Amino acid sequence: MTALMDFLTVVTQPDLLLLVGLGTFAGVYVGAIPGLSVTMAVSILISFTFAWDVYPAISLMIGIYMGGVYGGSRTAILLNIPGAPSAIATALDGFPMAKRGEAGTAIGVTTVMSFIGGFLGIGVLALAAPLVSDFALKFQPRDYMLLAILGILLVGSLSQGSLVKGIFAGALGIAIGAVGRDPLTFAERFTFNFQILEGGISFIAVMIGMFGVSEALLQLHHVDKDAVRQKISRIVPSLSTVKKHLPLSLQTSAIGVTIGALPGTGGDIAALMAYDHAKRVTKNPERPFGDGAMEGLVAPETANNAAVGGAFIPMMTLGIPGDAVTAIMIGALFIHGLNPGPMLMIDQPDMFWFIVGCLVMANCFMLLFGLTGIKLFTKIVEMPRSVLIPLIMLLSIVGAYAVNNAIADVYWMLGFGIFGYFMRHYGYPLGPVILGVILSRLLDDNWRRAIISEREDLGAFFAGILTSPLSLVLFVAVILIFVSQTPIWGRAKSQLFKRRDAQS
Amino acid sequence: MKRILVGALGALALTATAAIAEYPEKEIQGIIQWGAGGSTDTVMRSVTPHAEEALGGTVVMQNMTGAVGAIALNHVAGSAADGYTLLMGAENPMLYKIMGLGDKDYGEFIPISILARGTPILVANPDAPFNDYAEMIAHIKENPGEVKFGSTGPGGLPSVINAMIGAVEGELDVTSVPYDGDGPALTGLQGGAIDVMPAVLGAAIEGIRAGNMKPLAVMDVAANEQLPDAPYVTQFNEAYSTYLPWGPFFGVFVPKGTPDDVVAKLADAYAAGAQHPDFVQLMNDRGFTLMGISGEEADAFLTKWQQGTAWLLQDAGLTKASPEEFGIARPGE
Repeated sequence: MTALMDFLTVVTQPDLLLLVGLGTFAGVYVGAIPGLSVTMAVSILISFTFAWDVYPAISLMIGIYMGGVYGGSRTAILLNIPGAPSAIATALDGFPMAKRGEAGTAIGVTTVMSFIGGFLGIGVLALAAPLVSDFALKFQPRDYMLLAILGILLVGSLSQGSLVKGIFAGALGIAIGAVGRDPLTFAERFTFNFQILEGGISFIAVMIGMFGVSEALLQLHHVDKDAVRQKISRIVPSLSTVKKHLPLSLQTSAIGVTIGALPGTGGDIAALMAYDHAKRVTKNPERPFGDGAMEGLVAPETANNAAVGGAFIPMMTLGIPGDAVTAIMIGALFIHGLNPGPMLMIDQPDMFWFIVGCLVMANCFMLLFGLTGIKLFTKIVEMPRSVLIPLIMLLSIVGAYAVNNAIADVYWMLGFGIFGYFMRHYGYPLGPVILGVILSRLLDDNWRRAIISEREDLGAFFAGILTSPLSLVLFVAVILIFVSQTPIWGRAKSQLFKRRDAQS
Repeated sequence: MKRILVGALGALALTATAAIAEYPEKEIQGIIQWGAGGSTDTVMRSVTPHAEEALGGTVVMQNMTGAVGAIALNHVAGSAADGYTLLMGAENPMLYKIMGLGDKDYGEFIPISILARGTPILVANPDAPFNDYAEMIAHIKENPGEVKFGSTGPGGLPSVINAMIGAVEGELDVTSVPYDGDGPALTGLQGGAIDVMPAVLGAAIEGIRAGNMKPLAVMDVAANEQLPDAPYVTQFNEAYSTYLPWGPFFGVFVPKGTPDDVVAKLADAYAAGAQHPDFVQLMNDRGFTLMGISGEEADAFLTKWQQGTAWLLQDAGLTKASPEEFGIARPGE
């Protein structure tokens, strides 16, 4: 009963409700601008809300978080520039829809699906947090490594056209991710004794350059062409559309919650994995993937919003952050005199239920703000290109600088922007580059942790994989997915079917 | 050329003295060496608002991460010594030189305040087959190579504690598994990926209270107020008192050459901030020892810390270059 009261705190106090709403609204816009990240916004809020009570401070942060994760999809759909790494997969099918003038439909679907995903994530947090966090703790370094390999196999799904070019792009991404001082031994890698390279290359800068600047450069080709008129008559998707995609959204939400709950992986990886999953299970999409398939929007958007609830699971149950934003929130709780950790849920269950309440309200506000104001947003794409392109460039530069307050990041961003332009020009997909950068550390660090734990004994390493059920499942998944992408699989399958045909 | 330079410097000094009449007259930038949400970040963001009150100015804090904090350090070292750029950092820069991570340390700075010091603690997975420090040492000696220690790279707290254990107990055959911070390593510990982790008490305290990890020994010469029941390491081996108390610390710094009255103003402000009951409470809860020292006291603390730690690592063979090369004297010499 008290739990219910704590849960409803946010609803019964209008000022808290207002802050959640305000936060969500701001989050949608912060999220939509590439480079202005939720992580940054929340860490600024820590100083800003220092003198406040803990409830209002948390309300505002949760609003920004929820809104920001969703907001990344806006620019991904409208401009092909993901506002945040977790919206990369959304651009793959969202932008083709906008090119057909269906941006309104695309935004409507992403909003509703984000809402559904968000709710499922919160539901798992509220009902099964201890269970999920126990499961997440079971992941050993080798399991994270296998997860990263699974992620790298997504290159196949993300490269439209030539797989070889996709693999090249992915490998390039992994190499970019390895530049700088290795965080485990502090040895310099690929720095060529340049001090500027010591800190590594910010992957946000790479992302903004590759998607933002290269897109702007590409648009220069048809600067005189009229912008596509957007149909915005039907924004809210029909019930039958939602129903049709419900099974898929349940599956991708499950992926989102799990990946979100794992410390060290977040919404970005979850969204990409969900996209791949959708591509695998959808037999007959109305349109092919990469060409504006609805499923290609449903999957990443449900997953990245479900990952929000997931990220709170280890934070609330163990005091371990599920991602960068929850790491900052843990700091905020400390500053406000709380002790986030395993005892928080026992000593102060009211905090847990209050956070769940805030998340629910933020999710509702997200639906509200998501479905309104679309007209304004679509106007952006209808702007003349001579206005739009400089605007994209400006936002890209500001965004790249804001990540670390480093001018070097702006140079990297511009460099990768030009490089990305030529990559596009020659048909190299950009998605795998970002995938590689995101997964580079995860793969590298955990492989080394795993093999060092076994004292560099490969035999013991594989014995470990085969004796742990979790590792074994991941290992089998890696092998199956890998084989299914090779010609052997196709040949085997066709022969199998031939035989069956002959028998019948 | 030289004369022009001297003249320019003189003019600069004049304008600087004129300007500090009403310091601070604009926003002060606080560069935090570590990422948002980490311990340094938390400490700085909770003390600074109180210091701002005392100072009557605004300090805008931003995180500048990368290269184990060296990027932020170099940035502040290269900025004007006018008191408008503060470095908010931890202990690591004192080891940059001997670890080959950079050519600057806090020697290029004036300490405004050394705010607090952490206490290291050895914690283990609750399922580990030993319950205190003595049992752990016995277990490692009986099962060489089997116990996995978490570490955070050369120069990090675990590497110093390991060097200390090596100096006291002789070389132990354990496997060190590197993590990028004590947070992720303690997560690994709870999941069974590593058995033992030397961590800062504040990071482990809630896990210990909940029974998710067990304390083997507080690395100190007396019991800790926050964990009065946990054994402390000199109970097991008196030899540790040579090296202890030792711990990571947090401090606010300005580049050398900053005018004295600006330094004094900032030092007073941060000293006041460090005494604010909210901050004291936060430090106590997280198991940090409040220091709030500045001036000569802080300089002496830094020198002593650097000598002790650098030579400990040198003797353990963990350094890239000898402390001697940088004029860091062996303690007691």
